[in-house]
Amino acid sequence: MRFSAHLEYVDMHKNAVPPNTLSLPDLSAAGAPDGLPASGVNRREFIKRTGLALAGATAASTFVGPRRVWAAGPVELTFASAKFYGKQTIAEVVNAFNGSQSKIHVTYKELPPPSSSTEVHQTLVQQLARRNGDPDVFTQDIIWIAEFAAAKWALPLDEYFKDSAKDYFSGMVQACTWQGKLTALPWFVDSGMLYYRKDLGFNAPTSWQELIASAKQATSSGGVKFGFLWQAKQAEVLVCDLVSFIGSNGGAILQPDGKTVSIADEPAVEAVQLMRDLINKEQITPSDVLSWDEEPSRRPFTAGEAAFLRNWSYVWKIAQSDAESKVVDKVAVVPLPHFPNKKSAAALGGYQYGINASSKKREGAVEFVRWMSSPETQLRFATQLGLCPTRAAVFDRPEIAKEQAFMQPLKDVFLGAIPRPVTPKYPQVTLVLQSEVSRALTNGNVKEALQTAKEKITTIVKA
Amino acid sequence: MPIAKTMTHADLAPRFKLPRWRLGPFVLVVPALVFVGAVSVYPVLLGLWLSLRNTTLSSPEDAFVGLANYQQLLSDGGFWNAWIHTIEFMGASTLLETVVGLGMALVMSERFLGRGVVRAAVLIPWAIPTVVTSKMFGWLFDGQHGIVNYLLRSCGLIPGNLNWYGSPELALPTIIIADVWKTTPFMALLLLAGLQTIPRSLSEAAAIDGASPWKRFWSVRLPLLAPSLLIAALFRALDAFRIFDLVYVLTGGGPADSTEVLSTLTYKNLFSALQFGYGSALSTTMFVTEILVAIGFGFFLLKRFREVQL
Repeated sequence: MRFSAHLEYVDMHKNAVPPNTLSLPDLSAAGAPDGLPASGVNRREFIKRTGLALAGATAASTFVGPRRVWAAGPVELTFASAKFYGKQTIAEVVNAFNGSQSKIHVTYKELPPPSSSTEVHQTLVQQLARRNGDPDVFTQDIIWIAEFAAAKWALPLDEYFKDSAKDYFSGMVQACTWQGKLTALPWFVDSGMLYYRKDLGFNAPTSWQELIASAKQATSSGGVKFGFLWQAKQAEVLVCDLVSFIGSNGGAILQPDGKTVSIADEPAVEAVQLMRDLINKEQITPSDVLSWDEEPSRRPFTAGEAAFLRNWSYVWKIAQSDAESKVVDKVAVVPLPHFPNKKSAAALGGYQYGINASSKKREGAVEFVRWMSSPETQLRFATQLGLCPTRAAVFDRPEIAKEQAFMQPLKDVFLGAIPRPVTPKYPQVTLVLQSEVSRALTNGNVKEALQTAKEKITTIVKA
Repeated sequence: MPIAKTMTHADLAPRFKLPRWRLGPFVLVVPALVFVGAVSVYPVLLGLWLSLRNTTLSSPEDAFVGLANYQQLLSDGGFWNAWIHTIEFMGASTLLETVVGLGMALVMSERFLGRGVVRAAVLIPWAIPTVVTSKMFGWLFDGQHGIVNYLLRSCGLIPGNLNWYGSPELALPTIIIADVWKTTPFMALLLLAGLQTIPRSLSEAAAIDGASPWKRFWSVRLPLLAPSLLIAALFRALDAFRIFDLVYVLTGGGPADSTEVLSTLTYKNLFSALQFGYGSALSTTMFVTEILVAIGFGFFLLKRFREVQL
């Protein structure tokens, strides 16, 4: 046992520790520690180094040269994640992990950015379905957790992280749990939110009626061209918007049992009718949103043409950049409005860590995920990449207030965020929702479209 | 004895040679056969086999279900919706591209100053990657800031901005326009090549006989161009049938499935929902429809060639 520990030290020397802090004679020489600097070495260090040198010597003689020592080197892990970047990249964070210790070496495999989430999903599924342990660690969009868990691709993590689960937002832990088992560990959180112009003379709306009134006032006074921009392209983003509209009326698409479909119930019908009315009746939303996803809806807003925008947290950085925005310092973020006497709701987003159930290097993978999800790394992701922490304690750190001023006011938004339908069949369910809700918004036959959606989804989740 | 021995040798020699000579060509085609088999035949057969199963990558389901996928497909409104859009797209874009391409080819076959430059320049739209074309047309036909709306409004042709990609009536025609812009040069070039095989003397002879320019085109050049025309249209139709990128980038199949075509539907089923069984049934149906289209064109081509021979 002791022996193997020394081998790791040998490795540490070779890999990570700068040579001037710990100098060790060449292993192949297998000599005494005569290369040690005399000064500035405390007793503990000295014993360590002597041990190291001895281990090196023994290793050299026992295993025919230093190559064997090398072979007992760090555990090699692969980590696949969608691409995120800010002041730093994920690769730099992974390198920091590799530099922080010597037992594990992680190779980062970059997947497309989250805007191409279908491609990310496809790549992950193809690799996980092979069940060959590659990648050992991956990150997954919150909507895939149930699917990956039900397919038994994601390793249940309770035995490793049971105690630390309480440190995360409870909604996130819930979203990472499938059938009572924690199968993902929170990385970062995002959700839909309402951006509004605080220079146009209205207060932040809390109800949809207030939003409609303010939007009309803002457009009729000539301040802006559009009232309220959101996304209705027949794509995943439509489901995100849908969830927040239905949730803000106390409704749901799918009940927590995963079998009862409530998309055709009164709250959902009212909510989708409101979406349709914003375009056709109230006319505060241009019909162009029917083909808009995030970016087309963001551009008019940061160009100063709109009073309200529903979008994700990434817009904040753009809105505050002098180069890209005409509304610097004129924008504020609040939770999305709600129906009378109901609560605001936003679609929960974000990517979370998972460990491949077929990984042969479980302990190493757990160690890596623990580091990636640690408070310090979360702080790093928050300040350097703009990814909002999932640990409540990290959220309140002063560094975040300094570097990413927009984050802390969002805490309440995130706490109120609700997941999209939780079912392993989500990829099929979302296609039905996209198609039928797009139909409802286009032709106005809301009840009929939602009834069709209900029938189709019921067939899918029962199968 | 010695004679008999010689005779056996003489007998044996061709017997040894003959099979070798017969196998020779087969040995030479083996690499090609293996290659075609691996990249073409095997995937098609595997697709057929998968279409008879209920394989879903993310679930343990993987059993033989016979024709259940096809049954589900025939009663699936989404499939027929996509099938009709695909046929509409194929018909409209092939027709428009053939007509416009023929016009361009006729112009380019005349002698005029800068003909070489025009012939090269005409290919530019075709050389641009389709995704780039898609993004470009996304901006051109943008509902709020697009130049097309601006021009039409300035000319007084439309009262307000049209929502090209956001309305179910306009989205598919707009995608067809983008496709026509992009692929007409390809048709023009194929037809230009066909036109150049027709001897000029024929038109000239007709002109001497007093045929009008229209008559010369309609009765002399067009019939002779027909085989090229059919082959070019066949290529184009089969290519248009598998339209994917324009739709994927511009509308994602929406709004309200109004631009959903077979390729995008198949992609969604195969790669988003990971239903390999049902998705394979969809792509098999595409395959069969394409074969039918090809047979249709082949029939006309054959007829045409027979007429020429007679």
